[in-house]
Amino acid sequence: MQLVKNLYSYRELLKSNVKKEIRGKYKGSFLGVLWSFLNPLLMVAVYAIVFPYIMRVKTDNYLIFLIIGVIPWTFFTTVMTQGMITIRMNAGIIKKVYFPREILPISVAVSGLVNFLISCIIILLFCIFGGVGVSIHLLLLPVIALIEFLLVLGLIFAFGAINIYVKDTEYIVQFIINMLFYGTPILYTKELFPEKIRWILNLNPMTHIIDGYRDIFLYHQMPSIQSFLFMIGTTLLILFLGICIFRKLEKGFAEEL
Amino acid sequence: MNEKEEIAINVEHVTKKFKVYYDKPNTLKERIVFWKNNKAEERTVLKDINLKIKKGETVALIGVNGSGKSTLLKLMTKIIYPTKGKIITKGKLTSLLELGAGFHDDFTGRENIYFNASIFGLTKSEIDERLDDIIAFSELEEFIDNPVRTYSSGMYMRLAFSVAINVKADILLIDEILAVGDQHFQDKCFKKLEELKHSDKTIVIVSHSLDSIRNLCNRAIWIQDGNIKRDGKTNQVIDQYLKENK
Repeated sequence: MQLVKNLYSYRELLKSNVKKEIRGKYKGSFLGVLWSFLNPLLMVAVYAIVFPYIMRVKTDNYLIFLIIGVIPWTFFTTVMTQGMITIRMNAGIIKKVYFPREILPISVAVSGLVNFLISCIIILLFCIFGGVGVSIHLLLLPVIALIEFLLVLGLIFAFGAINIYVKDTEYIVQFIINMLFYGTPILYTKELFPEKIRWILNLNPMTHIIDGYRDIFLYHQMPSIQSFLFMIGTTLLILFLGICIFRKLEKGFAEEL
Repeated sequence: MNEKEEIAINVEHVTKKFKVYYDKPNTLKERIVFWKNNKAEERTVLKDINLKIKKGETVALIGVNGSGKSTLLKLMTKIIYPTKGKIITKGKLTSLLELGAGFHDDFTGRENIYFNASIFGLTKSEIDERLDDIIAFSELEEFIDNPVRTYSSGMYMRLAFSVAINVKADILLIDEILAVGDQHFQDKCFKKLEELKHSDKTIVIVSHSLDSIRNLCNRAIWIQDGNIKRDGKTNQVIDQYLKENK
């Protein structure tokens, strides 16, 4: 509760930090902020060529299927990569001024969320012009986006803080994210995964989140209740653990940096 | 009279130890491979400090280099935390440990005012309210829309000081920054501090310029080797300090 009050009184800092995150990332590049939308699209283009033609994956509406997987995944990975290093990057002010340290990971996650919500326009355009159409289920988009936001926030709270003490965390987590890309049904449907080990896929909260996006954008149906409960449950657990770890470790930031 | 309510800063049994690494292990490999070499020497910088500063007091912390004054100030701002004991502060707190923390060279003076003031916890409307005061105090009207990288170091400091002093915090912690800008600006800062002193602000200053402390503070705390050596009226403490440090 104290944390929420504290964050509220520092809302101006949060706001200017989010702006800085969004503007600063592609500063100096020719296309600027456009890159954050262009990047996932180019990625989609590559997969859309490789998988149907070379690997002979056959899924209906594969292009749209891919886009709905890749864009939320980009949200997840960008926030993870930037969130891991945000405390280290801001060492200068951490050593000089007091402010709630939580602001730093939160601004990374918020800027990611803003980017993602804008990118959803791309998904929508593809749905409309790709013949899939839209439905009332889209009302659930903010809910799933919020869950993904809280999940990734919890993760960067934890790993961003640990990374100050053990710098290897950054590289280990980066590797796990790369691996997780294939452990999440982004390029393939869950059904293509061998049935015996499909339960592993279901342990991954990102599986449920991406399936959720596909349900509302592509299949026009409600995500299953179990799936929903699992997403919310794991997210809250990770967020809670993340905040605990962060609060425990933040006291040493100024000395360790 | 309720005495307890009047205490702005309460330092209770505070001990601070720093770990001094000769070769700090940064990676997992270094931690594992060289675990025997990771001996860290522990240095106790503050030893069981007890201190109560009342609301409205202007207090100076004096002592030789390395005595722990700045560490105590950093503990009060919550940049670092005590190893043992606790520090309770009451009211909004601003620290001027290092001026211009969080300034961005490519942004204009005006943008930096917003950014810097938001680090101190001000909201947009509060900054809007103070913007004119801040600019007027810094005397940088002509340059305020230029990027701060074009500023001279004196101008930079003036802007930073103006922001910090206009935050209107209840507690102001200042570390050795009374030497800001030219004589004219220094006098102005001094006058501003005098003015704050007579309002109900609490001010804690770490400084080596004993003459200005004599004028400004009504209480001085002498810290030596992590202990409070003497605590009392400014002139008496400084006189003894000067006698012993000749």
